[in-house]
Amino acid sequence: MNMHVQGLVVTHTGRTLLDVDDLRLERGRAVTIVGESGSGKSLLAHAVMGTLGAGLEAQGRVVIEGTSYDVAERRARRRLWGRVMALLPQEPVLALDPTMRVRGQVAEGAASFWSDRRSGYRAAEEVLGTLGVAGAARRYPHTLSGGMAQRVAFAAATIGGARVLIADEPSKGLDDHARNDLTVLLHRHVTAGGILLTITHDLDLGRDLGGDVLVMRDAGIVERGPAHQVLITPSHPYTRRLLAAEPGRWRHLWVRDRTSGATERTADPGGPTLVQTDRVAKGFAGRTLFSDVSLTIRPGDRLALAGPSGSGKTTLGNVLLRLLQPDAGSVRHTQELAGGRLQKLYQDPAVAFPSRVPIGAALADVVRRHRPAPGRLTSLLAAMRLDESLLQRTPGQVSGGELQRLSIIRAILVDPLLIFADEPTSRLDLVTQEETMCCLMEQVERSGCALVLVTHNQALAHTVADRVLAVAG
Amino acid sequence: MTTVPPTLAADEVEPAVRGPAPARRGTLPPVARVLARRALQAVSVTLLVSTACFVIVQNLPGDMAYRIAAGRYGYDRVTTASADAVRADLGLDAPAWQQLARWWADLAQFDLGTSLVTGGSVVHELRLPVTSSLQLAATALALAVAVGAPVGMAAAWRPGGLLDRLTTVWVAGTRALPPFLLGLLLIMLFSVHLGWLPAVGHGSASNVVLPAVTLAVGLSGLFARVTRDTVAQLRGSGFVTFAETKGLRGRAVLARHVLRNAGVTLVAYVGAQALILIEGVVVVESLFAWPGLGRTLVHAIFWRDVPVIQAAAVALALLVVLINTVVDVAGLALDPRPRWRQVVP
Repeated sequence: MNMHVQGLVVTHTGRTLLDVDDLRLERGRAVTIVGESGSGKSLLAHAVMGTLGAGLEAQGRVVIEGTSYDVAERRARRRLWGRVMALLPQEPVLALDPTMRVRGQVAEGAASFWSDRRSGYRAAEEVLGTLGVAGAARRYPHTLSGGMAQRVAFAAATIGGARVLIADEPSKGLDDHARNDLTVLLHRHVTAGGILLTITHDLDLGRDLGGDVLVMRDAGIVERGPAHQVLITPSHPYTRRLLAAEPGRWRHLWVRDRTSGATERTADPGGPTLVQTDRVAKGFAGRTLFSDVSLTIRPGDRLALAGPSGSGKTTLGNVLLRLLQPDAGSVRHTQELAGGRLQKLYQDPAVAFPSRVPIGAALADVVRRHRPAPGRLTSLLAAMRLDESLLQRTPGQVSGGELQRLSIIRAILVDPLLIFADEPTSRLDLVTQEETMCCLMEQVERSGCALVLVTHNQALAHTVADRVLAVAG
Repeated sequence: MTTVPPTLAADEVEPAVRGPAPARRGTLPPVARVLARRALQAVSVTLLVSTACFVIVQNLPGDMAYRIAAGRYGYDRVTTASADAVRADLGLDAPAWQQLARWWADLAQFDLGTSLVTGGSVVHELRLPVTSSLQLAATALALAVAVGAPVGMAAAWRPGGLLDRLTTVWVAGTRALPPFLLGLLLIMLFSVHLGWLPAVGHGSASNVVLPAVTLAVGLSGLFARVTRDTVAQLRGSGFVTFAETKGLRGRAVLARHVLRNAGVTLVAYVGAQALILIEGVVVVESLFAWPGLGRTLVHAIFWRDVPVIQAAAVALALLVVLINTVVDVAGLALDPRPRWRQVVP
């Protein structure tokens, strides 16, 4: 059995969003599609599955098991869902019903469940057992860790016996540990003779899965070939650009080379202390997240708090900012941090801007309050490569990367001494991540302020920071 | 290049059984915690409400004894002598704090006293109002949910569709229509013109129809709106989409995932509306001569029948606590997630 996509075109009000002429997927060979946001790669997954949004027009054919389906006709494929083709959800925690125990949510995907509940439950327990999460069967989703939720979602998606598995950004929001688990599960599916189509902007996931890789840009495929060739020695300039955007390969002026002793030059060990903690500890619900953390932050410092999700790195950050009271120990801030000279960047910038107010109005408030030098906003917009017309829009009308750069501007306008960035790029694709971090770091470099970066991405932490504090949890 | 897949090591997996979510406040299970908190609330509410009632009645203008005498003997036969007799009979001369202490002492023995006007026991006086209020509220709510929830569900299937817009009009129309006007219209139509249903009274099943419909009309629109918003939001949620791509049919998705999650919101909303119904339907009760709690309370205030006022107010307060308890327990049964929010570590 194989799957064949022919002449697939997706348009929205006349604009072509996806144009893929020919794509073959075979049993036992993974196919991974990489590219930046807006390249159309997610649309490909949904066009094949039949879950495209209502406003999109699609044409082309998908041949599955010898039957040809018109992609414009979405209903016909619905009876294949679960039995022949399945979609592994993005962010498994959101894909599980919070009011139902895991066992029922997995079992309902099994065909036998609808004639005999008990045999469905047995099948669910068996699948969960083979994935190493037998104990999750009777639990509610909110009690699962990210990695366990990932396995449960995998069990629920595949229990119906679908040979075609489509995974749309499956590693989004996962820490390294959960990501490794995911790779194992996807591998299993392929080696058991399944068809796997993975959509991701995580190049490491593409390398780990092997098989074939397609690189998408501007609705089309720019390069295709075996993973070890495309993602190691690419031939197309765009693919090379994509690879260069991986944090470990960044070569920017602001990236400090720790071997040459540049750290000592920029972070003055005798400089004033901005934040000092003395043996702080914090825990929730009887579980200690961290204890005995003593550290000092001085102007020019770049500190990363790195660790898997749930390890307490955001909590530690909030204790550093004195947004949370530590259970033990003390946190001292210098007087100069008062009056807004300590700024925070959020993971989801959309929640940090008023949603119905034009961005320009929100920034004008900051200008009125803090009175930066005239023309500062305009020069910052230029430095961030943002057009001034964006100021007329509301947060929902700009992209995630643009909004994060606008929130960097808002932080910089105040002339901060310390910027606290909480996973500022974890929702962005590689190219946008590099662009955003560059904008942030150029300003940090220029102003000499300190930076605390919270991230689950080890490569990013080591590239950006001089000191990486591993938060284990 | 060959990729060597890492394997799922057993020791990477969290311990299989972690038991139920750790009880963070004490060691009580959630339901017991809810019941304990609400029981405490019931006691404190009883004391507060009855004391407040007592203080307010003491400070109402006019001599209480005259009012009570009027209630007992009729306005024409109120004289200074009869008022004095009432005063002596009821111990109204005693200092206020003594009267209040007497009421508390009686309450501790579950003795609500006797009505100052009729002389009957308060428990007996209140039995009918409490049961009729509950009967009316339950019937109105059942009608409103039976109409509103399915309409809201259907409207959510096509947000912005014809039915969706019709429910918006329905909500605006019914909210703009005052209940007394709607009640009068219903009486004119069904009692006067058609003669199908009795306009006033209490006792037979047909009596409850008109007041319940009057209340339910306005509520049904609200329920339809809340159901529609909840269901529309749920249909876009990750777990409903996932249920569909798992291969569940539309009806199974609705029954297993949409209904239960919508229920969480709807139960809480029905609870809030039930409170309003029990407390604030004096207009509709008066219109249909329905012997409910609201009407009883108004009459008792008019005649300065302090024990009845206090007992009715306490009954209302306890009903509020009771309904909130039922809503809490039902919510816990539907949605096991912890209710308190903490900073996510």
